[in-house]
Amino acid sequence: MEGFVAHKLAEFEQGKISRRRLIETLTLAATAAYAADRAGAAEQPGLKAALINHISYTCPNFRQAADWYSKVFNLDQIGARDRDVAMPFGKKGEQPYNVAAKDVPLTHLIFRTRDLNPAPAAGEAPRPKVQAVIDHVGYTVADFDREKAKAELKSLGVENVRDGGLYSLHMTDPFGYDVQISGLANNALTDG
Amino acid sequence: MERFIAGLVKDFERGKMDRREFCQTVALAAAVYGAGDAANAQATRGFKMIGINHISYACPDYAKARDFYTSVFGMESTPGKDNGKRANLMFGPEPGKGGSFIVARTAPTDAKPSKAVVDHVCYTIANWDDQKVRAALKAKGLEVGGREGSLHVFDPFGYYVQIASAEAENAFRR
Repeated sequence: MEGFVAHKLAEFEQGKISRRRLIETLTLAATAAYAADRAGAAEQPGLKAALINHISYTCPNFRQAADWYSKVFNLDQIGARDRDVAMPFGKKGEQPYNVAAKDVPLTHLIFRTRDLNPAPAAGEAPRPKVQAVIDHVGYTVADFDREKAKAELKSLGVENVRDGGLYSLHMTDPFGYDVQISGLANNALTDG
Repeated sequence: MERFIAGLVKDFERGKMDRREFCQTVALAAAVYGAGDAANAQATRGFKMIGINHISYACPDYAKARDFYTSVFGMESTPGKDNGKRANLMFGPEPGKGGSFIVARTAPTDAKPSKAVVDHVCYTIANWDDQKVRAALKAKGLEVGGREGSLHVFDPFGYYVQIASAEAENAFRR
C-alpha cells in the first residue's frame, strides 16, 4: 500500500495526474485495503464459545451434592448413573436464556464421584500437571434480591452465606465449595 | 378429585367394590393428591437458575489464560476490566442479558480448600463442523483429543477444556 501511495504521489508531483485524480485513487485504494483487511480478519480460522455446555463437578458423594443443588436451585436430576447425574438449567425443549442459535443446548451441571487422577489409557499421554483451579462458580438466578435471597438461603439451611460485592451472595455447598449467586446486574461489565 | 370420588361411590353403590376396597382407594387418592401438593409447594422454594454467571479461574499468570481463551475460544476481554492481575473474559449473550464470563486471575490455587473440584468446563460451539474445529485448534498449536462432536485440549496451565456440539453433549441425550 505504502509503495502504491508513493508512486501515485510521485505521479501527481510530476503532473501526470490531477489533484482530484490523486485523491480519488488513494481513497479507493485505502477503502479497498481496509475491506480486504476486514474480510481477512473474518476468515481467520477461529472458534467462538457460544455458551457453557456443562460444568463437571467431582466430589466424594455426587448424590449428596446433586440433592443440595436440586434443593437450592430447583434443578431436575436426569440420566443418573452409578457415578454421575446431570442437572440441566431447565426442561427438555427449552432454549437457553437469550441464545438464538438452535444448536446450543441448555447448560447443565454434571455431579460425579470418580478418581481425578486415573492412569492414562493405553497409547494416551499422561495428563499435564494442573496449575489452575476454578475456585468458585457464580450462577445467575431470576429475580435476585439480596436480602430476600439471604432469608431464603437461611430457611433452606444453607451454610456460610455472606455478601459478595454489591450484587451477589456467596455460600458454601456440602463439600465446602464456594458458590456465588447473583442477578443479571452482576456481569462482565460490573464485576471487578 | 371430586369426580374421581363420585365414580368410586357409584361403583361402591353398584357393588362393584366392597367397603374395604373403597376406603383404601380413597385413602390412596388422598395421599397421591397430598404428595402432588407438597411437590408443588416445594417448587416455590429455592431459586430459578438462568445460567452460569461466571467462573473464577485462579492461575499463576492471568495474562496467559486471558490470551489463550480469547485467542482459542473467541472470548473478549472486557474493556476497562483488565487491571494487571485479573480480566473478565466474556462470551455468549451480551453482558446483563445472560452472557457469561471467566474471571481469569493471578492468585494462589490452594487458597480455598474444598472436598469438591470443578475438574473441567465444556463449551458449546454452534454450527459444529468436526474437521473445522480440529483444524482451528491445531492452528493454535494445540494437541487435540476426544471423539466426533466432543474434543478436548489443555490450556496453558494444564486445565482440561472440553468443547462440544449440541449433538454430542446434551443432558437430555444421556
